[in-house]
Amino acid sequence: MIKLHKVKKIYEPHDIVLDNIDLEIKPGEFVCLVGVSGAGKSTLLKMLTKEERPTSGSISVEGIDLSEIKDNDIPYLRRKIGTVYQDFKLLSKKTAYENVAFAMEVSGAGQEEIEKDAPQILGIVGLKNKLDSFPDQMSGGEKQRLAIARAMIHRPKILLADEPTGNLDLVNSYDVVELLLKINELGTTVVLATHDTNIVNRIGRRVVSMDKGRIVRDQSHNGRYVI
Amino acid sequence: MIINLKKILDSGWTNFRRNSYLSFGATGIMALALILFLGLLTIQFLTSQVVATLQDKIDISAYFKTDATEDQVLKIKSDVSVLPEIESVVYVSRDQALSDFRARHAQDELIQESLDQLEDNPLAASLNIKTRDTSQYASIAKFLEESPLSSVIDKISFYENRGVIERVESIANGVKSWGFGAVLLLALIAMLVTFNTVRLTIYNQKQEIEIMRLVGASNWHIRGPYLTEGGLYGLFASIIALAVFYPAVYLVSDKVYSFIPSVNLFGYFLTSMSQIVLMVIGLGIALGAVSSAIAIRKHLRV
Repeated sequence: MIKLHKVKKIYEPHDIVLDNIDLEIKPGEFVCLVGVSGAGKSTLLKMLTKEERPTSGSISVEGIDLSEIKDNDIPYLRRKIGTVYQDFKLLSKKTAYENVAFAMEVSGAGQEEIEKDAPQILGIVGLKNKLDSFPDQMSGGEKQRLAIARAMIHRPKILLADEPTGNLDLVNSYDVVELLLKINELGTTVVLATHDTNIVNRIGRRVVSMDKGRIVRDQSHNGRYVI
Repeated sequence: MIINLKKILDSGWTNFRRNSYLSFGATGIMALALILFLGLLTIQFLTSQVVATLQDKIDISAYFKTDATEDQVLKIKSDVSVLPEIESVVYVSRDQALSDFRARHAQDELIQESLDQLEDNPLAASLNIKTRDTSQYASIAKFLEESPLSSVIDKISFYENRGVIERVESIANGVKSWGFGAVLLLALIAMLVTFNTVRLTIYNQKQEIEIMRLVGASNWHIRGPYLTEGGLYGLFASIIALAVFYPAVYLVSDKVYSFIPSVNLFGYFLTSMSQIVLMVIGLGIALGAVSSAIAIRKHLRV
């Protein structure tokens, strides 16, 4: 499903961000990507949506070699992969409903489909009463759940979450993690980049540890955050 | 596809309304640029009219010695007439010249009396020659000088008028090339100012564009609303410019008429109104849309 082979990323002249990464993630897995800030977790995730390109090596997602995807076709790749970020990246001038509707619009969904699906997904993440709220009127946890709803609206097979709990308190963090686990149970592959020890240990799934651009440990079951 | 296009246009219109402050600024600046452009168009029209009027008044005359026979003069006339650059050649005989002169000075008794005193007609026969282009007078003068009958030619007026002819010519050329240069320069300035204003508008929404890209919006889906927005600035700016320009021309037209009676400024702009309206609106929309397209380009890099 996701395959990285000898992936290197070097920012000129000598800043090695990713160093010979070999990683394979199977469909339906829940992978925690852990490591301190600057270990290369975010860069690795950005490679999967082609926000960043490797200096050398190859990456394939769902059997498609990313280097063969033309710039014009990148939007289609991104519609297949849901993304969630630490800073939510919500459109502040749009309501919760409009934020989700917008993501549907850009992929060409019709009005009828939007009116049916958008409230439904917001209900699933527990924001049924917040349809008309603007992001500024919502708590951190609610914003992140909205972001997850938006990411899931295309029913992607992969969900990438980059430090989604970084701006949240403990309770809200657990809420978000529960939601990610639920999404995973329904069949979506989830890659969660985080440096939060408690969360990683609580999840207890596969843990890939990174340090200075390399994968230093890959525990396939009941992984722990160890540096 | 059609629904998509409608949504993109709608979204551009919404942006235009929501950013009313910036829209107002961008529209105002574009309207000013378009008014300047129309002003320049007017000046160019006026100068070309003045130059055409002046050029029409310029001709070249060959005056013949009083002993030249009519046959000799007519021979030269027929020689000159076949030249391709000639528009017209008018022969004025000595008698005709005298009667014209008398008619011109009919009120002046002194001149009439002096003429009566003379035994012979003092005036020379002449050929008044007009060419299609003022630059060709020199070659006509040369042709006359080198003619086998040049001995009967007393003088050629070109050399006396040469200064005036050349000055009118250089003004005409200057107006053409400088006017064109000024229009280009102005268009460039208008484009830069519009571009900058639109760029600010887009910079304000940088984060939105980033988010659009991340949720998988295609470049056209992102670009479309901004192009629409830019086109709307242009549309409104051209409407404002035209609404200012036509009344202004109407007011100025009378004054221009009293200076240069051959020019009907308002009439000219009224008869070509449909072309001018189309041109200005087209120019405005293109200016706005192109500015937007350039301004947004850098945000679309994937």
